[in-house]
Amino acid sequence: MSDCKNCDNCDCGNDAPDSPERRKLLGISVGIINGVIATAIIGPVVGFVGAPLLQKRKGIWVKVLSESDLPPGETKDVKFTMHIKDGFMEVDREYALFMRRSGDKVLAFDPACPHLGCRVDYQSDKGRFFCPCHGAVFDDAGAVVAGPPARGLFEHKTKIEDDHIWVYREV
Amino acid sequence: MSEDKKQVISPESPVETQAQNLTDSEQARLDRPKLSDWLELRLGWWGFVRKNLDEQMPAGVSWWQTLGNLLMTLLAFQFITGIALSMYYSSGPESAHASVKHINEGFISNIPIFGSINWGLAVRGIHVYGSSVLVCVTVLHILRVFFWGSYKKPRELTWLVGVLIFFVMLGFSFTGYLLPWDQKAYWATTVGTNMAGTIPGIGDSMLILIRGGSEVGSLTLTRFYAAHVMILPAALIILTALHLYLVRKHHIAGPVLPQKGATVPFWPNQLFKDAVVVFFGVGIVIYLAAVNPPGLEGVANPTGTDLVPRPEWYYLGLYEMLKIMPAGWELMATLIIPGIVSVGMILLPWLDKSKSRHPAMRQWIIISGTAIILMIGLMTLKGYLETPVHGEEGHGPAVEGQAAPDGEAEH
Ligand code: HEM
Ligand code: FES
Repeated sequence: MSDCKNCDNCDCGNDAPDSPERRKLLGISVGIINGVIATAIIGPVVGFVGAPLLQKRKGIWVKVLSESDLPPGETKDVKFTMHIKDGFMEVDREYALFMRRSGDKVLAFDPACPHLGCRVDYQSDKGRFFCPCHGAVFDDAGAVVAGPPARGLFEHKTKIEDDHIWVYREV
Repeated sequence: MSEDKKQVISPESPVETQAQNLTDSEQARLDRPKLSDWLELRLGWWGFVRKNLDEQMPAGVSWWQTLGNLLMTLLAFQFITGIALSMYYSSGPESAHASVKHINEGFISNIPIFGSINWGLAVRGIHVYGSSVLVCVTVLHILRVFFWGSYKKPRELTWLVGVLIFFVMLGFSFTGYLLPWDQKAYWATTVGTNMAGTIPGIGDSMLILIRGGSEVGSLTLTRFYAAHVMILPAALIILTALHLYLVRKHHIAGPVLPQKGATVPFWPNQLFKDAVVVFFGVGIVIYLAAVNPPGLEGVANPTGTDLVPRPEWYYLGLYEMLKIMPAGWELMATLIIPGIVSVGMILLPWLDKSKSRHPAMRQWIIISGTAIILMIGLMTLKGYLETPVHGEEGHGPAVEGQAAPDGEAEH
């Protein structure tokens, strides 16, 4: 209680300038204030940098080919353009698909290898898709024949309307 | 004694200015101090320099201990060339490829006697080969520390920080590889980021966070650029400073078995060895940059079929492992094996419980370490021999005619 000398107005005790209670209280306060300051900077940055996580992919139907251009038995490497947003830019991005008739349906295989995403290529003489990266091979129906992928080629939904083949593509 | 008097105001003892019987020149120096004296009084730099030059090395310290200094120099080279490159580089999908092409082709001047010099390509070459040699030397440095057992108490944290530096370095190469936005950049990044996507549960979110969207695009490029020139350099500077502080604090560990003989100061013997090694290390970088300057493939093209997949050479081992994994086992190659090796590296000082640093006293560690190193080496060699060398400038006729993504102007 020697602190009493320094203390005019108070009745000397817990609120002396450096009493243990006061130190603890001030320590907690500093901790809380620092927490608020940290949140003020971390919050906005995390929200901003993580924003792509909240973005929803939207799908649209695209007209890619007129019906007569896809004869039965043929697998075609089809390119089409979609107007998409890429960051701040709006661009016409070219996409590719492998299309093939199967009965009265049309199959549309995504060229991205289901292993790690390289672009597969179709060799019509062999009737197979080949991935240049880790050696995956797929048959006409998109199923794995060899190599590391755990599943066959991804397919996109298709429909035939107005004599054209439409593909549902998510971006 | 007269010797003593002359040194009264040498940089080593600048404050003893009260001494009597100064000669005229000494008095003059006191009245109008040299810049070095002036600085010494305020910074104490000379003490710092002396402390480092006089740092005592245990007997038996040799050429193997010069690698750290070579690393420092190569890092300085990366920073300097990197800053220069960033003045001409443009990080958008419409401009990145063209800007690197401009670096490659737009800065040629004719110098009498020397002939034509391609400044842009020279700086880019130093940056590209510097990164490779840097990874090489880092691996040698790690191997030296591993076989000498120098990571043992009290140097566990020095090792830990070193491992983090190594990871940062791999991050530099992974992010830098995308920047030229050519075919190999685009596909290496597609595959590399997809690897993160295989992680169960969080894979999809990781993929989107890394790419800035579901596809490799403009936001991937700006993210990688930010990592390459802001985040990773900041991390590297902090980690390197910490590493060096710890190295100085605990001093060099010396040979596995203490050798007879007195300690030797760093200057002049060891510093000379360092200088020789740095000279040759830098020489290799300049030589490689001069004889085989880095090329540039056609602009990134997600629909082009002309890709020749080939990651940076030090990822070839991983690349081979992806090839040989049976269907459905890719998680082994993308996460589990690299994860085990990384965690093993981090935990090494705690996994190795032997007191002795001698290799014969820690056989399990040495044997498993050597096995892992050999495996990585063999896989890398296999990858090197089996993957075709990727094309130079304007590789692949297919690329020229095809529409480039985002309306790339150059082609
Ligand atoms: C602050 C330091 C650095 C800066 C500012 C910087 C900047 C750059 C820039 C602007 C590029 C694009 C130009 C080009 O591709 O030639 C680039 C590419 C690259 N950087 Fe760095 N860099 C730094 C450090 C590093 C380090 C430490 C490494 C490796 C350990 C590294 C490895 C690479 C690689 C592999 C490329 C791709 C080169 C290519 O294929 O053209 N960089 N860097
Ligand atoms: S990406 Fe096709 S096999 Fe790996």
